[in-house]
Amino acid sequence: MIPLLGLLAGIVLGIVLEPSIPQILQPYLPIAIVAAMDALFGAFRAYLEGTFTDRVFVVSFISNVLIAAVIVYVGDQIGVGSQLATAVVVVLGIRIFTNAAAIRRALFHA
Amino acid sequence: MDLLNQIIRHPVDPDYALVAARGNESANRRWTLALLAVIIGSLFAVAALQTTRAAPALQLERTELINRVQNAERAQDELQGRVASLSQEIATLRAAALGDDDAARALEERIDALDPVVGNVPVSGPGVLIVVDDSPSATADGRDRVLDIDLQVLANGLWEAGAEAVSINGHRLSSLTAIRSAGDAITVDYRSLTRPYRVEAVGDVRALQARFVESSAGAWWNDLAQNRRMRYEISDVKQLDLAADPGMVLRHAGKATS
Repeated sequence: MIPLLGLLAGIVLGIVLEPSIPQILQPYLPIAIVAAMDALFGAFRAYLEGTFTDRVFVVSFISNVLIAAVIVYVGDQIGVGSQLATAVVVVLGIRIFTNAAAIRRALFHA
Repeated sequence: MDLLNQIIRHPVDPDYALVAARGNESANRRWTLALLAVIIGSLFAVAALQTTRAAPALQLERTELINRVQNAERAQDELQGRVASLSQEIATLRAAALGDDDAARALEERIDALDPVVGNVPVSGPGVLIVVDDSPSATADGRDRVLDIDLQVLANGLWEAGAEAVSINGHRLSSLTAIRSAGDAITVDYRSLTRPYRVEAVGDVRALQARFVESSAGAWWNDLAQNRRMRYEISDVKQLDLAADPGMVLRHAGKATS
C-alpha cells in the first residue's frame, strides 16, 4: 500500500512542482526510468513470492539506475551511447516482461 | 545465448531470496521505501512532461529548417534569374559596342553561330534521344553498371556525329563540362545524376542517328547493350529544348581594336 501511495504522490508532485532536470542529466532520465520499472516489477514479484525486503529493493533500485546511467554515460563518451542505451533497454525489457509474466501467473493463476 | 538464458531464468534479484532466508525483517525501513516510491513517481511524471514539452520544440526546429531550405532555394532562383538578365544585358551591350559596320556584322554572325555550340544559349530543335541505364543484373560493385566513361564515350560520339548541343538529364554539356564518377553516382558539372540517363542531342536528324551508330561510340554502346544487357534506346525526337549551361560565364572582355 505504501509504495502505491508513494508512487501516486510522486506523480502528483512531479506534475505540480515540475522540477527541471539539469541538461546534462536529461539523456539518462529515460534509461533511469526503465531501470526503475525493472526494479519495481522485480520487487512486486518478490513481494508475491513472500521474499520482499525493503533494503534489497532500495539497494537494487539505486544500483540499477546508477549502473544503467553509467553504461550510457560511458557509451556517450566513446561514441556508442545510443547503441548501449538500446542494449540496456533490451536487457531490462526482457527482465520486465519475464517478471510481469510471473506476476500475472501468481495473481491470476493463468 | 547464455546471457539471455540467465536474464530470463533469474529476472528477480537473488538477494531477495538471500535476505529473506536470513530472516531479519526490519519494519522501520518503511519510510525509505515510501521515499523511493515518491522519487520513482516523480521521475515518471517529469520524464513524461519533458517529452510532451519537447515535441512542439522539435516540430518548430523542423519547420525552421524547411523554411531555411526554401529560402535558400528562392534565393538561388533569384540569382539564376539575375544571371539570365545580366547575360541578356551583356549581349545587348556587345551588340551596341560592335556598331554597325561590315566587320561588326561578320563578328555578330560568328557569335550567333558559335553561341549554341559552346552552350551559351538555350537550343531547341529536332534531334535524337538516347536513354541508357544499368543492366538488370547490375551488382553493387559496379559490374554491368553505366560508368562515367560510358557516358563520356556517348557524349563524344554525339559531338562526332555532328550534334550541335548535347545534354545529359537536363545538364547541358559544354567544352568545360566534366562527366565523372563521384561515389556511387555519375556527376555532370559536379551535380549527381539519377538513373536512367537521358542523353539529348540537337542536330541534323537525318544524319545524326545513322552517323552515331556507325561511330566508335555506337559500336561501344552496341557492345554494352548486347553483352552486358544494359538499356540502350535511341530514338528521333521532333522537338528538344536544351537549356543553356549555367556554368558558362563571361571571363574576359575587351574593346575590339578595329
